Amino acid sequence: METTERDQMNVGPQYASRRAAMMLGGTALASLALGKLAHAQSTTVTDVDILNFALNLEYLEAQYYTLATQGQTIDQVGVGITGPSGSAGGTVTVKANAQVPFQTPLLQQYAMETAMEERNHVTFLRSALGAAAVAQPNIDLQNSFNALAQAAGLGSSFDPFANETNFLLGAFIFEDVGVTAYHGAAGLISDKTYLDKAAGILAVEAYHAGSIRTRIFAAGTAAQQAASKIAAARASLDGTGNDDIGVGVSNGAATIVNADSNAIAFSRTTAQVLKIVYGGGSASGAFFPNGLNGTIK
Amino acid sequence: MDNVKELLKNGVSRRKFLAGMGAGAGTMAAVAFAAGCGSNNKKPTPTPTPSGITDADILNFALNLEYLEAEFYLRATTGQGLSATDAGSGAGAVTGGTQVVFTTPAIQQYALEIANDELLHVQFLRKALGSAAVSRPPIDLTNSFNAAAMAAGIGPSFNPFADENSFIVGAFTFEDVGVTAYHGAAPLLQDKTYLSAAAGIMATEAYHAAEIRTLLAYTGGNFLTYANQISALRAAAGGGNEVAISGSAIVPADSNSIAFDRTTDQVLHIVYLNPTGVVKSGGFFPSGLNGKITATAS
Repeated sequence: METTERDQMNVGPQYASRRAAMMLGGTALASLALGKLAHAQSTTVTDVDILNFALNLEYLEAQYYTLATQGQTIDQVGVGITGPSGSAGGTVTVKANAQVPFQTPLLQQYAMETAMEERNHVTFLRSALGAAAVAQPNIDLQNSFNALAQAAGLGSSFDPFANETNFLLGAFIFEDVGVTAYHGAAGLISDKTYLDKAAGILAVEAYHAGSIRTRIFAAGTAAQQAASKIAAARASLDGTGNDDIGVGVSNGAATIVNADSNAIAFSRTTAQVLKIVYGGGSASGAFFPNGLNGTIK
Repeated sequence: MDNVKELLKNGVSRRKFLAGMGAGAGTMAAVAFAAGCGSNNKKPTPTPTPSGITDADILNFALNLEYLEAEFYLRATTGQGLSATDAGSGAGAVTGGTQVVFTTPAIQQYALEIANDELLHVQFLRKALGSAAVSRPPIDLTNSFNAAAMAAGIGPSFNPFADENSFIVGAFTFEDVGVTAYHGAAPLLQDKTYLSAAAGIMATEAYHAAEIRTLLAYTGGNFLTYANQISALRAAAGGGNEVAISGSAIVPADSNSIAFDRTTDQVLHIVYLNPTGVVKSGGFFPSGLNGKITATAS
C-alpha cells in the first residue's frame, strides 16, 4: 500500500511545471486590478528600516506557526510584540481554537520546530534593533486566507488550521515569500554583521520552504495543484507574473526549489513583497489590515 | 496528508548499503580522524578566511564545490558527468560515480532536479567569471566516501551510488556544507551583484538541504544514523556548525535560529577529509582545489 501511495505522490501534474506556473501567473488573478509597481528600491532606506521590514514579516510567521501548534499567540507565550517606548502591539484576527489537529508526529514536530525558529527570529531582530524595534502591526490570519484563496482560485474560503494539508498550504504561502524578501534585502544592507545575520535567516527560511515543498510534493496531486495556484497568485500579485514556481514535476524533475533559470532563488523588492502580503492592496490589506509598522510599508 | 507519514517510511529498502558493515566496523581505527559524537556544537576558534582575496577568488572557490556537487548528482542520475565544455580546459579526472538504479520515482525526480540545479550553478559561475574561471580539479567519488565512512564510524566502505537510499546519504554529505560555505562567503563579496547571486545560490542549496534532511527524517533507521554520523564528522572538521537530523531538527542553525556559516578553511577541512593542520588536498579533491583558496592556514 505504501508503495502505491508513494507512486501516486510521484505523479506530479504537468500543469504544475515551472513553465506552466509561469503561464498561469498571467491569468490567475486577472480579476484583480493591480497598481503599477515600483521596481526600484528607495536609496534612502537604512539598515534599521530593512530589519524592521523583516521584523513585520517574522511577526506574521511566528503568529501563524505558534497559533497552529499551540493555539496561542506569541505574546501569550512570552515573546515581545511592543514597540518604541512600550507602545502596544497590534491584534491578531484568527478563528477560535486555531491549533491544528495534527495526526502525523513528524509533521507536528516540524511545525513545532518552525514555530520556535520564527519566534527566535522575532526575538533576535527585536534585540538587534533595540529601542528602534517596531511593534507588531495588526495581523489577520482569517479573512486574509479567505481572500487569497478566492484570488488563487481555491474556493471561497480557506482555513489553514483545519487539517494538516491546509496547514502545509498556509505555511507554503509565507515561506517562499520570506526567502525572496530576505534575498532582496541582502543586497541593500550596509552593515556586514547585519548582512551576515540576514543571510543566515534567509538560509533558514529556505530550509523551511524546502521542507514544506517536499512535504507538499509527497502529499499528492491535489496539494501540489493547490500550491501551484498559490505560487501563480503570488507571481501575479507582485506584478511580475513569472517569479514563482509551483510544486510538481517538470520534464521528469521535481520542482522543490523556487528558483530562476540559473537555479538561483528568486528575489523580490520590498514593494513586491508588500503587494503579496497586502493581497494586492497599495498600503494595507490581507495579512496586514492596517499595513506594516516602520518606514517601509 | 496521511500520505506524508508514509513518505519513504516503508517502501524504502532497509538493506544495509555498506558491504562489510558489521559490529566491529565502528571500532576500526579511523584513518583520517575520529568524529566525536559530542562535538556537534563545539565551535573552536575559527581561522579567518585569508585576507587579500578578491571576489573572483571566492567565486572560484564556490565553483570548485559546484563541480563536486554537479559531478555527484549528474553521474548518479545520468551516468555521465559534466561535458568537456562545462568542465573547462585541462579539467581534472573524475574517479567513480555511476548511475543509481532508482526504484522510487519521487526520489529520481528529486535527484534530477538537484542535478540540473548544480549543473546550472557551474554554468552560471563559469559565465560570471569568464576567462578567470578555474577548470574542474580532479575529483574522487570513490575513495573519498570510503574514507569518510571509515572516519565517521560507519564502516570500511560506502558507495553512495549503490541504491537510492545510499544516494540520499551521499547527497546529505554535501548540501548543508554548501549552505555554510555560501553563507560564510556572502559577506566577503564586494560586488553587490555577486553578493545577491551568491545569496540566491545559498538559498537554493538550503532548499536542497532541507529536502534531503526531510527525506532522511522520514526514512529513519540506518540511513538516518549514517547521515548523522556524517554530520558529526563534518562537525569535527568544520568547527561544529552542525545539528543532527531528527523530526524536530530539520534546520541546522544556532540558538538564534540563524543558519551556520563556515570559513573557507573550515570548508576545506571538510572536503579534504582532514580536520587539522595545513592541508592542501585530499578527500573529494585528491589534488586540491583549483584557484587561490586551496590550502588551510592551520
